[in-house]
Amino acid sequence: MSRPTHLDRLRERLVKDERRAPFLALSGSGQLGNGVLEKAFRAGLARGPHSIGADMGSVDPGPNYLGSGRMAASDTIARQDLALLLEGARAHDIPLLVGSAGTAGARPHLDHTLAMVRDIARERGLHFRLASIAADLPREVVKAAIRRGAVAPIGAIDALTEAEVDGASHLVGQMGIEAFQRALAAGADVVIAGRACDTAVFSAIPAALGYPIGPAMHMAKIIECCSIACMPGGRDAALGTLDDAGFTMESLNPDRHATPLSVAAHSLYEQADPYTVSEPEGMLDVRNARYLALDAHRCRVEGAVWVPAARPSVKIEGASRVGERALLLAGCADPTAIARIKTILPEVEQVVRSIVAGDYRMYFRVYGIDGVVDWPKPPVVPPREVFILGEVIADTADLAKAATTVLKQYLLHHGFPGRVSTAGNVAFPITPPEVQVGTAYRFSAYHVMQVEALEPLFPVTVEDV
Amino acid sequence: MKLVDCARVIRSKNAGPTTLTLDLMFEDDAGFRQALASPSLTPAALAPLYGVPEADVDVVPYAPAFAIKIVLPRKVIAGAPGDRDVYGAQQHGPLLGVEL
Repeated sequence: MSRPTHLDRLRERLVKDERRAPFLALSGSGQLGNGVLEKAFRAGLARGPHSIGADMGSVDPGPNYLGSGRMAASDTIARQDLALLLEGARAHDIPLLVGSAGTAGARPHLDHTLAMVRDIARERGLHFRLASIAADLPREVVKAAIRRGAVAPIGAIDALTEAEVDGASHLVGQMGIEAFQRALAAGADVVIAGRACDTAVFSAIPAALGYPIGPAMHMAKIIECCSIACMPGGRDAALGTLDDAGFTMESLNPDRHATPLSVAAHSLYEQADPYTVSEPEGMLDVRNARYLALDAHRCRVEGAVWVPAARPSVKIEGASRVGERALLLAGCADPTAIARIKTILPEVEQVVRSIVAGDYRMYFRVYGIDGVVDWPKPPVVPPREVFILGEVIADTADLAKAATTVLKQYLLHHGFPGRVSTAGNVAFPITPPEVQVGTAYRFSAYHVMQVEALEPLFPVTVEDV
Repeated sequence: MKLVDCARVIRSKNAGPTTLTLDLMFEDDAGFRQALASPSLTPAALAPLYGVPEADVDVVPYAPAFAIKIVLPRKVIAGAPGDRDVYGAQQHGPLLGVEL
């Protein structure tokens, strides 16, 4: 006979006569693989949580990880973090849900994370039912959705084309609570998911147990970054305590305080709209949320509303190769050259193009002038020094290297009116000052797709380890 | 008064790779209301600071945190060739000189 699932057992423990006892959700990490602070995490385990969730990925670090299939975190720290959470979850026999495996949550990231989980289980003698959920979208499904007008851009990006869908090296969708609930219904102790909404790892279980989805989703949104929603903010584990009317947020580091202001302010973080959050199954509306201090350390939140979607939707992320990238690193402390730098660089680029044939792109960022911000006006006082980052992207690494090395030499010796420092225009901080940094990618898809059903897009696979 | 002298937080970050969001947080409701009333924090005044059309700038008041959110399209999608700030975490500079 099969043993009861975690959902069955939690329902048995927490739900009586349609009333629910407080549900304790432990947020282990907002960026699993970058180092979990062990003291706060263990303090969370000591509170007897009903589940552990952790987010492992994001679109924030840029398109390289989704494009290349590589993980942003180091293997060493990712293993260390996974081991800490796996041992904690198994010691307390509570479910562990990890979303957006391996940074970008595509097949290679998921496989790499699963391999680490199996290794850790073998090394430490842990046995559990492991579910994995893939997030790679079948290209034909997305192309068919484009043809029926069911795909729309999110923000400033062109409409998605079938050619971009075919050209993406990886294409994923953000799964919601539904996929995690299927994995738990299949008896999973540990769920490792590909690309997922940050909220799903915390809200899937309480939503399945009948807690109101509005507060459950709001709690998930607040605790997913751990103690960032505190004053002062930090990365220590956080605990959400959910009941039928709302939730309480607290940090597991006693020096970080969840105040009404710090928790309310978290709704602004990395959100275009502080009042709503779109999820595959609906929309969280926090317009009427109330934030109350329980004491100096804990904040009580009530009033979030869940608006179910008439039809589900999935955020699509895709990344495509642009070319091979090489960089030139150079500094300059010559006032005459700095005053003319915005003229000198295009002049040198022209010389490079007259020598190195072929198709390549060249970019310059002049730190001290406009390396970081595309300022509407140049600086009033020119800087004493500038740093010049030259960038070449070409179809082959050879061509990128050729253009960068010629750029280096001609920038060093470029002649211009009023030049005093005739032995060289720039200082190279290292040798060689031209470096090849691998393949460059771009986001080719950041869109939302209306779908009939979520289940077929996010298949669950179960194994016993 | 300069914005930088009355705001507690002036920060920028991506809201996804296509959108930049700037958060201004004030000490109290009075500071928040004063800033919200300023003509310097309207889409018309902010658009030229970031070189985007006025119609592309959203200004969203968020009273629960005494905050004003400014939302802009990114001119370059995060991490695409020519980008200068993949996370968008250093795009607050043009706001530091704003007089309320």
